[in-house]
Formats: sequence, structure tokens, C-alpha cells
Amino acid sequence: MTSELEQELKHLIIDTLELEDVTPEDIDPDEPLFVEGLGLDSIDALELGLALQKRYGIKLEADSDETRHHFRNLRTLAALVEERRTA
Amino acid sequence: MTNDTTHGPLLATPWRERDPARAVAWQTDAYAETPWHTLAAFQADIGAWQAALDAHTEPPGDWMLSTHDPYRFGCALIAAWERGDRVILPADTRPATLEALDALGAARLGDIPGGLTPSASPRTPRWGTLEAERIAVSLYTSGSTGEPQRLDKTFAQLNAELGMHAALWPLEARLTLSQVSHQHIYGLLFGVLRPLCERSPFASEVCRYPETLHQWLAHWHAQTQREAVLVSAPPTLERLPETLDWSAVDGVLARIHSSGAPLPRDAAEHAQRLLGVEVREVYGSSETGGIAWRIQQCDSKWTPFPDVEISADSEHQLWLRTPWLTDPTTWTPQADRVVVEDTRFQLLGRSDRIAKVGGKRISLTAFDHALGELPGVRRAHCMPLARRDGRLGAIVELASEAVPHDHSARRRLIQALRTALAPRFENAVLPRYWRFVETWPRDAQGKLGAACLSRLFADLDDPRAPRWLGETLDGPQSARLTLEVPERLAYVEGHFATQPVVPGVVMMRWALHAARESLDLHGVCRDMTRIKFPLLLLPGERVTLTLDATHDSSHETAHDDAHNDAMTIQLRFTFTSQRGTHGTGTLILTPPEGVHHA
Repeated sequence: MTSELEQELKHLIIDTLELEDVTPEDIDPDEPLFVEGLGLDSIDALELGLALQKRYGIKLEADSDETRHHFRNLRTLAALVEERRTA
Repeated sequence: MTNDTTHGPLLATPWRERDPARAVAWQTDAYAETPWHTLAAFQADIGAWQAALDAHTEPPGDWMLSTHDPYRFGCALIAAWERGDRVILPADTRPATLEALDALGAARLGDIPGGLTPSASPRTPRWGTLEAERIAVSLYTSGSTGEPQRLDKTFAQLNAELGMHAALWPLEARLTLSQVSHQHIYGLLFGVLRPLCERSPFASEVCRYPETLHQWLAHWHAQTQREAVLVSAPPTLERLPETLDWSAVDGVLARIHSSGAPLPRDAAEHAQRLLGVEVREVYGSSETGGIAWRIQQCDSKWTPFPDVEISADSEHQLWLRTPWLTDPTTWTPQADRVVVEDTRFQLLGRSDRIAKVGGKRISLTAFDHALGELPGVRRAHCMPLARRDGRLGAIVELASEAVPHDHSARRRLIQALRTALAPRFENAVLPRYWRFVETWPRDAQGKLGAACLSRLFADLDDPRAPRWLGETLDGPQSARLTLEVPERLAYVEGHFATQPVVPGVVMMRWALHAARESLDLHGVCRDMTRIKFPLLLLPGERVTLTLDATHDSSHETAHDDAHNDAMTIQLRFTFTSQRGTHGTGTLILTPPEGVHHA
């Protein structure tokens, strides 16, 4: 079951990265976002980081292990937002 | 180099001669009062254009000129040249193209919005001086390999190339029938300037369809018993239908020219079989003008034109020296790769196209080849999209069984392609925007030009537009467009809904828009009949939009209407996919005020 926040994040990803072939239903919350799975790349990671900062006030260190952990899949991303959101 | 100001076909200014009855252009309209635009009429028309230009601005000025008809184009071009003006030829008439030229200070001339047109009454023309080194025209490259580039041509350059063609393939009073746009170098030289300078007639209009070609050839021959020369391009020659009785016009064509892209060998044979004469292909570019020619059935190698010197370096890159290059004395490298054999050469293809994606240099050519080798893929073209941070867009021609027809098939295909490319390319440089086509999209010049590319990716910038994936024109009044429903279409309400669909009213809007873009049909929709939407149209779905327009002066609609005797257009539209018919109906249009379609 997808939570409301997860649904919101799906839209954030699709809109931020202008993914034209992906609908929210295509994003499996447990599937990797990067490389395999959704197939996002390092440029996308930077853009997604900016979007999270703008929308939720979350600051992430680029290219850290911690960031890589949060960006693993939609569930880890939702957990991050739940815990650290200031906006 | 031909730098003499009085010699050569163009600098001799044959349109100034006192030969009032000479035929400049042939009236394609079989019911025209006289079969010709004579030299006297041409001179008077030049005068009429000059009067309009004079009323607008003092010479010298810059004009952007675009017209539908070659005759009208010739009048406007000479009118401006003789005033001392420079003429800029936009490659297409998209608003963005024209606005960019507005910004350069060029005034609009001809059949474009806000374009100046000639004063109604014929006038005596004024002759000026055509200085050999003055810029005569500025042309734009097709933009198929990057941003369109401006190229200036002096009178001396045009003169030199026209002289070479006149000596090699003299027209000798044959009629020139052009099927290509005179806004580009090939159509400008072969379709308008060659006949004008060689004192041979050209058809007053562009010959767009095979039926028209058949009709004009028969009509011309019956009228004059003379031969004709066809100026054509691969898209038109490849699509010559067998169903017309070509034997009825056998022997009328003395020559066929093709340029813009290499003609596939079977198309060359097909054209020769139907039209009775071999195709002489011309290889060149906006930048270089004509370089070489071939008749494929005789030899697939290209023969350089007289006065063209060629050589190749160790990388197979072609180098040129011709009298009609900007600098006729130095060797200039070209984007094509060749193998030179004796005096002729084989064309290998374009040199590598390089782009930067995410700060990394990549070869687009390598991408095109890698994609082209995958199963189901016939051909591919990748390009960075400036409006998407330079991310790659890929145009991929697929075998028909590989074409995706819905969202999940498309998504699976993209993942399969990305997976297949992954071992060879970094994830971040893989194409992100995919356009799957069944037929390679090409403009009238046979190129995947800037206008095509812009249509293919237009939906990225317009959330209300369908994704355009190509079209076939079945005559002036009917078209078949291949469209896809973008997943992010603004009209597909709410991603949360269980069944997002394209509303029927949106399909009608798309049909109207497509009629404008593809059939040049500008009308106001004032009624509709037999509208049905039998099947839901879903995001990601691939559909064919068929349009058929009929003009009707006595149409009466179900409603009582004071205008029912006015000219109306019935636009029949059908949206079909593999699953069935999604929408169909007839829209009743009235032309916008003051516009009448013949």
C-alpha cells in the first residue's frame, strides 16, 4: 500500500525530472530509483536533492553514503522526508 | 573563378532583356487566360513588388522572403536585388524562425504573416547594379545536425554555380517542374534561378503531388510538344504511385534531378521505371552548393562537378575547393566522409557528431549506430535537447511489429533499449526522450530538418499537445497523423483517478490543430455532426488521426443558419488505434474572414 507521502513523492520525481514515460503506478516503492529500476542517474540525484530542499527544507550532502542510502528507493526517501521535513 | 561582372548567366541579368513575348513561367492552371507569364508581365510584376518595397523602406534593406509559388518568389527576389537589397530565405515559416529574423531587423516579404505583398498595378521596373561580391541571399541550413546556420551567398558564387550547371545540363527551353522548396539552395538554383537565367520556362507553382505531376506533364506536352525537367527529392520519388498511367506521359521528361538526401537504389529504379528517365542525383549542401552527381543505375560513385576539386584525408574526411565556396582558393573540410577512387568517390556518411551531456563528451554517431543495431530497430538519430539541459532525445524507426501501442509496451521497450545500451554507455548519457516512428520523418527536402525535430518534441513544452510521430499526406485535403497520448498530458485529469482518459473535446481540438498544421486549413468551427467517442483513449496510447477535408459551397447543416450559402469546409476526423475507433465525427468550418480556399 502506498502512503499519501509516497504518492506525493512519486509526483515530485516525475515532475522534477520530467520523466515522460513514467506514471506514478510505474514506480514500485521497493524498487531501486537509480540505475536499475527507475533508471535515474547522477544528474537526476542532484536535481532531486534540490527539489527536496525546496519543497521540504531538507538539506542533503551530495555524494555521501548517507544520501545514497536515502535515495535507495521510494520508501527510504519517504522515511527521510517524514523524519527531517521542516516545510 | 567567374568574377566577371558581365559574364555568367546571373550577372548577365537576362530578365532585363527586351524580349517581351519570351516565356518566363508556365501557367499550371489549365484554365488560365494565357499559358504564360511573359517577360513583359514578369518585368511589370517586378515593378509592382518594387513599388511596395519602396513604400516601405529606402534601399538597401534586408528582407526575409518566403512564398508558396516559384513565380511569385522570382518576382520578389529580382525586385529586391535590383533595388540593392539583400534577401534572407527562412528555412521554414514557424513563428520562432520568423521572429528570430525579425530580431535581426529583416522586414517580412511574401506569404508569411505580416509579409509585404506587391501593389496591385503593374509598374515599370527599376534596374540597379548587381555587384559580384554583394550578398545576394542568406540561406539557412536544415538544422538536421544542430542549430540552423546562416550562410551568405554572393552574386559571384551563385553565378559561378549556375554557369556550371547550364554548361553541364542545359535546359534548352525545356519546362522546369519543381517539387521542392525554393527557400533552400537546391530549389533556389534548380527550380527558379536556372530556368530564369537560361531563358527557359518554369512552372508557376510547385508541383506537390504525383497526380499533379501526371496532369501537368500531359497538359504541357499537349500544349507545346516540348520536354520537361523534373526537380525532385527522395520523399517524392519514393512515393510515386504505380496506379497512375505513366505511359501516357512517356518521353515528356528529359531529366529528373534529386537532392537533399541520397536516394535509395530501389527508389531510383522505381522512378526510372515509371517516369521513363534515369534520376540524376545531386550531392551538395547549403554551405557548399553542388559538389557531385551520379546516376545510380550506372554507378553508385559520385562524379564531382566540373571545377570542383576533391580530396580525402587519412580520416576519410572530404575536403573541397570550388569556385562557389566562400573562399574559392583554399581547401575546406566537410562533414562527410568519403573514399576517393580515381576521379570519383563513395560517400561513407557523416563524420562523428559530438555532444556534451552532463558535462561528458559523447559521440551521437556512436549512439545512432548502437541503437540501429538492436533488434527491431531500423534506424536511430540522437540529439541533445537544449530545453532539457542537453539530455538526449532519440528518434527511433522500428519494424512495425516492434512499435509500442500503449503505455506499458512503450515503457517495456524503453527499458529494453536502455538495458541494451547500458554496457556501452554511462547511465547519465542515455537518451531520456524517445520518439518511436514507423516511417522516418522527413521534410520536402528529404531531411529530418529542424521543423520535423521541433514537431517531434513539441509536446515536451506544451502539456496540452499530443505527441506527433509523423504524418502522410494523401493529397491536399487529407492527411494521416501518427500521435501518442503523453502520460503527462494536462487534460488527463488527476493521476489519482482510476481511469485517466483523453476527453472527447480534446480529440476535436487536436483534429482542428492538426488540420491547421498539416493541411494549412484555417477555419472557425461553427458546427459538428456525427460525433462519436466509442472507445476511451488512454495515456500512452498510440493512435492514427485521419483527416479528410471537403470544401462545399452549398452545405446545409441541421441547424437553420443564415450563412448556409457561404463556403464551408467539412473536416472529417477519425482517431483509431489497434484497439479500435476512439473518436470520429465531422467538424463544419468556415474560413476566417477574407480567406477563400480554391
